[in-house]
Amino acid sequence: MAQVKLDIFRYDEAVDAVPHRDTVEIDVPITMTVLDALETAKAEVDGSISFRRSCRSAICGSCSMNINGVTGLACKTPCKSVMNDDGVIQIDPMPNFQPMKDLVVHMDPFWDKYTRLKPYLQPADRDEDHELERRVSPADMKKLVDAANCVMCATCYALCPVVSVDPSFAGPAAIAYAYRFIEDVRDGKRKERLAQINEDYLWLCAHCYACSYCPKHVDPHDRIVDVKRATIQEGVMMDHPGPRHALVVNRTIKKTGMLAETEVILGTVGRFNFRAQLKVAPLGLRMAVKGKMPPPFLKPIPKADEVRTIFESLEVPT
Amino acid sequence: MIKHDVVVIGGGLAGMRAAVEAAERGADVAIVSKMHPVRSHSGAAQGGINAALGNTAEDTPANHAFDTAKGSDYLGDQDAIEAMCDDAPRQIIWLEHRGCIFSRLPDGRLAQRPFGGAGSPRTCYSADVTGLVILHTLWEQLERFNVKVYEEYFCTALCTEDGVGTGVVAYNMRNGQLELITAKATIFATGGCGRMYAKTTNGYASTADGLGIAFRGGLPIMDMEFVQFHPTSLKENGVLLSEAARGEGAHLLNSLGERFMFKYAPEKGELASRDVVSRAGWTEIMQGRGIDGCVLLDLRHLGREKILERLPQIRELALDATGKDAIDTPIPILPGMHYTMGGIETDKFGATRIPGIYAAGEAACVSVHGANRLGGNSLLETIVFGARSAKHACEYIKEIGDVRPSERTLKAEQERIDRWLSKNEGVRAPQIRAQMNKTMSENVFIFRNEKELTKAVDDLLEIRKTFDRDVYVMDKSKTFNTDLVHAMEVDFLIDAAMCVANGALARKESRGAQARTDYPERDDENWMLHTLAWRQDGQNPRLDYSRKVTITKWAPTVRSY
Ligand SMILES: Cc1cc2nc3c(=O)[nH]c(=O)nc-3n(C[C@H](O)[C@H](O)[C@H](O)COP(=O)(O)OP(=O)(O)OC[C@H]3O[C@@H](n4cnc5c(N)ncnc54)[C@H](O)[C@@H]3O)c2cc1C
Ligand code: SF4
Ligand code: SF4
Ligand code: FES
Repeated sequence: MAQVKLDIFRYDEAVDAVPHRDTVEIDVPITMTVLDALETAKAEVDGSISFRRSCRSAICGSCSMNINGVTGLACKTPCKSVMNDDGVIQIDPMPNFQPMKDLVVHMDPFWDKYTRLKPYLQPADRDEDHELERRVSPADMKKLVDAANCVMCATCYALCPVVSVDPSFAGPAAIAYAYRFIEDVRDGKRKERLAQINEDYLWLCAHCYACSYCPKHVDPHDRIVDVKRATIQEGVMMDHPGPRHALVVNRTIKKTGMLAETEVILGTVGRFNFRAQLKVAPLGLRMAVKGKMPPPFLKPIPKADEVRTIFESLEVPT
Repeated sequence: MIKHDVVVIGGGLAGMRAAVEAAERGADVAIVSKMHPVRSHSGAAQGGINAALGNTAEDTPANHAFDTAKGSDYLGDQDAIEAMCDDAPRQIIWLEHRGCIFSRLPDGRLAQRPFGGAGSPRTCYSADVTGLVILHTLWEQLERFNVKVYEEYFCTALCTEDGVGTGVVAYNMRNGQLELITAKATIFATGGCGRMYAKTTNGYASTADGLGIAFRGGLPIMDMEFVQFHPTSLKENGVLLSEAARGEGAHLLNSLGERFMFKYAPEKGELASRDVVSRAGWTEIMQGRGIDGCVLLDLRHLGREKILERLPQIRELALDATGKDAIDTPIPILPGMHYTMGGIETDKFGATRIPGIYAAGEAACVSVHGANRLGGNSLLETIVFGARSAKHACEYIKEIGDVRPSERTLKAEQERIDRWLSKNEGVRAPQIRAQMNKTMSENVFIFRNEKELTKAVDDLLEIRKTFDRDVYVMDKSKTFNTDLVHAMEVDFLIDAAMCVANGALARKESRGAQARTDYPERDDENWMLHTLAWRQDGQNPRLDYSRKVTITKWAPTVRSY
């Protein structure tokens, strides 16, 4: 047995102007999870402590919360891995959500992101044409398996810095779910889906890898990369800054072995998009003043061909 | 007031399948669920779902039906069993056509794995997350049809006017309001009741709500004494390691390193029916051939690759709870409460005795599982009878006019809640639940006898009285008051537990999951009868045996594996 002190964020949206914190002390077996500890605290000490939970086996996605400042599933986090020397564990609601009561948050914005995807199979052909199952090779099905493990716990969404500054960003979980349809050979709306996810600011993802910390190994960041790649392969929305940026970065590095900032900026906003260029002009000026403006025509670095080889070996054949 | 033609209580597989069926038929349908649908416990189902597709070996729905009837120890109603097994292939194809991510054979057809008690491999699966992928597919269909979901609404009572179902009362957890939800047809799909026991494979939310509500609404609860104990649950937290492990070839070992199952089931070994395997495991443990109160589930010989491809979740669950990696270490397991074969009595269309009230899924008792359910048949039941009940509800609503809202039920429910909230002392629900868990685990377990069952019956009656007299809720908040919700859940669980204990005591035979050491034989002469339990306020339920088992093709014979 060990003594655990749960330092819990307390708030009731109906009555509290500001949140406060309570510390609850309990004795628990050392193998207990943070969820077990909360459950014990609620049953034995303070019945008003509120949190969501259902499966207690990391499959229902209910119990995501901040534990010592890091978002994760309470039922998959052993107390002993997070308590400090005094036995204290800090527990807060997930960030990027409006708190409702204690650790319970309003999830609606998260679900709305899914609804926008039209998250259901829209087959390429008619069901009636298949008396039995549609045939799908194990390899094609396997592509979907990682994404299918998602339990919609929103851990990744809570961890995402882009969501915190721009709530219109679809967020990692929804993009990973979109991937599940985009890569499903039975689906007939690949291009429309790619266009939709581009509308929902796919390219805002900053590739910070925070969402790779997914308790179910969905690795939404990698799915985002896959979706971006598919966008370019399919030539969807190519006149948008996102794909243009990716392509021009790729092109300049392949050509010179360096990032040619001037070209990247021009390429991203559009070479003939003068209005947008005017908007970035102050940036260019500031760069020039600070001596950071690279020359318009870069000389390739000595072994630029080796860089090119690396790039080419990583390129996926289209 | 909320009003729909069809209201489905529960957003698990049974509830969502029902709602989608009603939506496809053009009905005005809504789901009322105490959790977001994807949080439902169906998502925890790992192993698979049965259908005689015959993709890997010859198979027919009739074979499936025979295995199910035999597995039920001949207590299942064979007309319902045949209906389910006949419909199974169609329902699996229906799911596949809607995008369900099932595992495949090299030629692209659905893969099927062997499961306990089945004559051929007929369990379709998706690695070991089958429940989750089906749950998602159905939720996607809700999105497609824009089905209204009253999410985090806790249903507390069913309404009837002039003997006809008129909807339910539900508690909106977000603002503490009790609301009347009026419907011409109501389908209960509220899932199981594992939380009667301390150690269970069921999640926290499997709390017999639908059973308790129907029971109080005047409906009989059927065959509750048949509680399935799953042979392979983790000692630490009761979490399940699916039968898929044995389906893929895992062994069960005792402390001597023996594959003990062949002593109990010479032909099928580890793949005998669940009741047989659980009793065998428990016998080994009781006779001193266990290790720290467990036997071992050994996956090592399957090899890393197969484990990671087919059973990755199981490996991770065991690793998280025990610190042991199934790839190189056998995992200690023991039998744990898993499933209730019993439930709200329905006919083979999902209809109860009250017009307009239906039930489907684990909350219902059709009965297709009889005295023992086969692995993979429960997910199938949720899908088949979810759809069937909705189909019949949709026909029913065409024939009846508007229904009257039941203001008096709303008022009675408000009074019940206010009473608990206004009290500041007494006993809290978690403490009462602990007493119930204790007596159930000690006295109504795998092997039963008159003395212990009598003790359980007496204890539970006392617990019922304590609850009715003394329960109070500590949290007075109107926002997300789970303290109040849990009290209501415990209230329902006590009802369910009383049905189990009383049914078990009265049934003087051993059949399927009911093993009486004082009546070790199956007694077909006297007990080819379903148990119907009717509620009596503050007393033990009244038992009635007027419903006989329906036999169509397979007369009871000796059951061996
Ligand atoms: C760990 C585990 C593994 C399993 N594996 C398999 C398997 O491999 N194959 C198989 O065939 N079977 C399996 N089973 C059994 C099977 O999963 C369940 O029997 C089945 O999923 C139950 O589905 P359901 O729709 O009836 O209920 P659930 O999925 O439990 O859904 C119940 C729903 O009702 C709602 N609800 C409950 N009470 C209320 C209320 N008062 N008000 C409003 N809403 C309410 C809940 O929110 C939930 O949405 C497994 C069971 C467990 C526990
Ligand atoms: S991708 Fe991972 S972290 Fe994000 S919602 Fe799904 S399971 Fe949770
Ligand atoms: S990698 Fe992209 S989606 Fe993931 S957390 Fe970072 S910014 Fe958000
Ligand atoms: S309780 Fe289900 S994921 Fe934690």
